[in-house]
Amino acid sequence: MENGYMNKWLKINLSTKEISDFNFPEEILRKFIGGKGIATHFLWNYALKLEKKGINIKDMDALSPENVLVFATGPITGTRSPNSGRHHVMALKSPLTGSIGSGNSGGKWGAKLKFAGYDGIVVAGKANLPTYLTIVNGNAELHDAQEIWGMNSLDTSNWLKEKHELKRAGISCIGPAGENLVPMAVIMNEVHRAVGRTGLGAVMGSKYFKAILVEGDAKPKIAKQADFDDKVKEHVEKLKENGVTGEGLPTYGTAVLVNIINQNGLLPTKNWQTGVNENAELISGETLTDKYLINKHPCWGCVVACGRKSKVEEGPYKLAYTEGPEYESIWALGGSTNINDMGAVVRANHYCDLYGIDPISVGSSIAAAMELNEKGFIPKEDLQGMEVDFGNADAVVELTWMAAFRQGLGYWIGEGSKKMCQHYGAPDLSMEVKGLEMPAYDPRGAKGIGLNYATANRGGCHVTGYTIAAEILGDVDRFTTEGKAELTKIFQDFTSIVNSSVNCLFLTFALGLDEYAEMIGPVTGWDVDTDELLKTGERITNLERMIINKLGFSGKDDTLPKRLLEEKMPEGPSEGQTVDLETMKQEYYELRGWHDGVPSLEKLEELGLTR
Amino acid sequence: MRVYIKVFASLRNKYPEVNDLNPMEMHLDKGISLAELISLLDFKQEEVQIALVNGLKKSLDFKLVEEEAIISLFPPIGGG
Ligand code: SF4
Repeated sequence: MENGYMNKWLKINLSTKEISDFNFPEEILRKFIGGKGIATHFLWNYALKLEKKGINIKDMDALSPENVLVFATGPITGTRSPNSGRHHVMALKSPLTGSIGSGNSGGKWGAKLKFAGYDGIVVAGKANLPTYLTIVNGNAELHDAQEIWGMNSLDTSNWLKEKHELKRAGISCIGPAGENLVPMAVIMNEVHRAVGRTGLGAVMGSKYFKAILVEGDAKPKIAKQADFDDKVKEHVEKLKENGVTGEGLPTYGTAVLVNIINQNGLLPTKNWQTGVNENAELISGETLTDKYLINKHPCWGCVVACGRKSKVEEGPYKLAYTEGPEYESIWALGGSTNINDMGAVVRANHYCDLYGIDPISVGSSIAAAMELNEKGFIPKEDLQGMEVDFGNADAVVELTWMAAFRQGLGYWIGEGSKKMCQHYGAPDLSMEVKGLEMPAYDPRGAKGIGLNYATANRGGCHVTGYTIAAEILGDVDRFTTEGKAELTKIFQDFTSIVNSSVNCLFLTFALGLDEYAEMIGPVTGWDVDTDELLKTGERITNLERMIINKLGFSGKDDTLPKRLLEEKMPEGPSEGQTVDLETMKQEYYELRGWHDGVPSLEKLEELGLTR
Repeated sequence: MRVYIKVFASLRNKYPEVNDLNPMEMHLDKGISLAELISLLDFKQEEVQIALVNGLKKSLDFKLVEEEAIISLFPPIGGG
């Protein structure tokens, strides 16, 4: 079939070693597209099945064999449409948050999965011994992974490529953090690209599932090739001409944001005690480019190339080669912890890649530990002689690998800031939503992103609805709460489309909903318009919400840490601000047709989500 | 009127030494607009996408009157 899809999914039960193919009916594909949308659809039905078996998913352990992983691409993935090498991974439950597990990754693995002949993979059950999967030209096989259990992502990748004599294969794997069931462990691909958030690496680890190698020569077939080719050309031109995608991101990477966010006074510093960071220049994109950059590094099929190849030439953190760091990693590892040594940030980020741990969650949790220590909550014996203080670069680097290996205070850091701050008796110092550490924008300085953090289904996350593009990088008033409900809803629903297509969110700096309709139409052969797409995005957001409702989350959980609601920003351009969340939230629920964080029956009927 | 200018990202191609820690001190006539300042700095108007005065976004017709103001200028940038 010529519709952009490979029209084949793989299902593996690691407990029984059963492997089978299946596919979704076209009507379902049109309703959910692919990627995040189709994975959410699968998880909803899977949740219903578990319930029928008498399993209460609210009480289910995220690390039990009952949890399931879904690796998904979309119709755009692996086509000549720009920046389409990405893929999305979901789990019914995140070990970090207890809410839905969800993450998106760059690299080339998504495209390679399609070349291997599949749109997606469902992984259920639990192996009795470490196992990995290969899919080469439509042939899926499970293998013994005992030899690579314990290896970091670089060694794992090299070993698999050599063993199977496939030097250019795509490899997704977990590092030691995933094996050690650290709840903030990631799934790495191409060594330096991560499905970063909500601890999906630990779900893999709990299944004794180490890696997936994909390679092949198949190509997705396009429904209307000539129309598609025209649009690809147009879109590439738009991306080249746009200041952000044509120049800003390629030259400086995402780290270019460090300075502008700090100049606006919302770069969270010292665990969000302030939004002004005196050292921002030293850990900025400009500094990275001047002193640490080797070259840019695009994902598969990318015409933007925000990725970085980097090095540390001298000093204690000397490193010949790594990739990144991204804006978020720099902020979490360097900004929130208030260190001024970019070399240390690069090194800590390198550990995150090698050992497979989320730099946002680990950096944020280290910063929380620093505040706990500053305020005297951590007993001396737990510190084991370490100086866990703001500004201590060594402590950041050490605690990063210690979290991956569950060593010393690293144990609590790896558990995430929520559990750690509860353990040490100061829950209000944990800067997360639904257990997911928030990223690098203090919503006291941009109110819409606060509403997004509060309402994002997977927890404190920016890429669910990146209102910063409008509030800081665009012309929308950042301090007002007016209109932010609508802004957040549109961003969230549009992002659901991007993550279901699947391609790169950064395209949206230059391409809008119109262009997404122009891409999805010719690829699939469907006559889609922007209204249908926005509805589809809304449907995906709502179905994901229905899952998290089943997991026990509702309006009470759509909130922000007390610090952001009650403590005024102490200084800088956002001085005196707090987040008036309640006003925005009620307006948002009304727009969404939700009651207290739960979709109404009318809304579900409207979206075709009732049966 | 004394002000401090900070430029970022590709705007530093013209002023490589100017940054957050090393702002450029300038003496300007009171009431000069941001657009005029941008010309004075030898930038094309479209090169500057975002202008902040003391951390607050201002349009290019904004007139500078405050002593010791910090003016941060950015080309089109994004990330996430
Ligand atoms: S813009 Fe960056 S993240 Fe997106 S596809 Fe390109 S390199 Fe990957």
